Amino acid sequence: LSAWETTVSNRLPAYLALGGAGLLAGLVLGRPEPVVLAAPLLLAAAVGLALARPPDVEVRVRLDRERALEGEEVDVELTIVARQNVAWLDVELDLPRGLAELRRAGEGAISLRAGATREHRRHVVCRRWGGRLVGHLRLRARDPLGFFAYRMEVRQPLPLRVYPRPETLRRLLRPAETQAFAGNEVSRLKGDGIEFADIRPFVAGDRVRRINWRASARRGELHVNEMRPERNSDVVVFLDTFTELDSHGGTSLDMAVRAAAGLIEGYLRRRDRVGLVGFGGTLRWLRPAMGERQLYRMIDALIDTQVVLSYAWKGLDVIPRRTLPPKSLVVAFSPLLDERSLDALLDLRGRGYDLAVVEISPLEFVAPGQRETEQLAHRLWVMERAALRGRFLDLGVPVVTWRRGEPLDGVLAAAARLRRDARLVRA
Amino acid sequence: VTRAAGPLMGAAVVLAGALALAPAVELAPLGPLAGVAVALYLAGLALPWPGALPWALGLLAVEYLVGLEVRRAPVDAAAPAYAAAFFLCAELGWLGLEARRGRLPWGRRAVAIAGLALGGTVLAALLLLLAAVSVGGGPPMTALGVAATIAVAACLAWLGRPRE
Repeated sequence: LSAWETTVSNRLPAYLALGGAGLLAGLVLGRPEPVVLAAPLLLAAAVGLALARPPDVEVRVRLDRERALEGEEVDVELTIVARQNVAWLDVELDLPRGLAELRRAGEGAISLRAGATREHRRHVVCRRWGGRLVGHLRLRARDPLGFFAYRMEVRQPLPLRVYPRPETLRRLLRPAETQAFAGNEVSRLKGDGIEFADIRPFVAGDRVRRINWRASARRGELHVNEMRPERNSDVVVFLDTFTELDSHGGTSLDMAVRAAAGLIEGYLRRRDRVGLVGFGGTLRWLRPAMGERQLYRMIDALIDTQVVLSYAWKGLDVIPRRTLPPKSLVVAFSPLLDERSLDALLDLRGRGYDLAVVEISPLEFVAPGQRETEQLAHRLWVMERAALRGRFLDLGVPVVTWRRGEPLDGVLAAAARLRRDARLVRA
Repeated sequence: VTRAAGPLMGAAVVLAGALALAPAVELAPLGPLAGVAVALYLAGLALPWPGALPWALGLLAVEYLVGLEVRRAPVDAAAPAYAAAFFLCAELGWLGLEARRGRLPWGRRAVAIAGLALGGTVLAALLLLLAAVSVGGGPPMTALGVAATIAVAACLAWLGRPRE
């Protein structure tokens, strides 16, 4: 709570000057009229000065909850207690970026009697994900006659975590290889499971309940069913946070974070182990794990994601080994603009990781210029990007372009098709 | 700009025009002075230029007093009414400017202005009655007037002292 800052309306000096001039004119002219004219002005100035004093109020801020989803409304409750009469008080909520106040009719300035308490409920809409501090208030007050204006700032920071609204996903990318724990992914290996894989002749040691009696009767010798076990997989979501492209409809990082939130939720629901690597000016990671706790840990880590300017050259060596387990599927979200993230992705592929890249198309954020040379440069840049995608495809890394407004489901389906085709070619 | 700005400023200009017209009707040469005062007042509200309002009000007062002096008129019995209108004109002007900046005049302030206008009129009438009392003039009365002026200034200074 800072002190009141007082400003005087230019009305008060004007009244004093006119009143003083009237008194002097009365003396000089020897007439009562100048004094009579000055009387109401001087009376107003005297009453205004007598009544003016900074308001004595106490303001308390409370949030109705500490967590919200993007697009949801949060109520900020303001309790104002007046120790003295307050003629006019306006409380303005100064909100950080990503939050906006919904002004409704009748939520203007108030006046309070001494000892009165007024509760205000302000509706705040969470427009963008992220960790925010709410509770910066600007108080403006005036004396009963409006000669003085008072301003004060109150800071009672309350944390509000706005979670990204996850992209809706019906299908996820299937990893090339599975891990040892039970999960929802049908393994490519054969073993104990419920998914039918093949039929083979009976050998000593096979369980009797595995015998396929129909096939055995048809072929004249015992055959058994082979099954595929359901296993889990390790998935690492790789977020390129070196660059953020901004436009009116949101940023490239917004798209990446919402997509990552959707993927994380989807894979964790399938009992997969999911990890996170935020590769940018500041390097952040979370080791793969499963369960609801991991979901909250990851979403909490996601909402702290931000672009930090750095010229430091980083490689994968700085990431702890257990963050990128062998045989894990790495799904990268990147606008493919920064050389450091490109090198890191190529390095991942070189190390044999099952990599899929979702390119957040920067073309939607950068319009070609008006001049011919600018349009030529734009076309060259578009071609360079196509060549870059080709470079990844040559290495067996599917790169799918995700444009703003497109559903991620379709993009992931395209990535799955590319991966399937690549496997067929390899086979 | 709030919706109240237009009516407030309109009322203020009408009142200023009436105040300027009253002495000019009695004495035609005051017309240009009245015109300048109203134009300045109008400019102060329209531009907006708050610094012009005190000058416009000062010109209105000068016009009124010059009219009285030139006509060598006896004590004007309508002076308290003129003073109340003068005060209301000033208040309406500033309220109009505030409304233009998005601040709505609040109810209690309107009541306070009305009360001050009434109180000012009563005070002005009392002063006029006091002036009508026949007492000898001369240096002692002038000294008393100077002392009263100083007392008013001191009183205002005391009221405006910094407080906790």
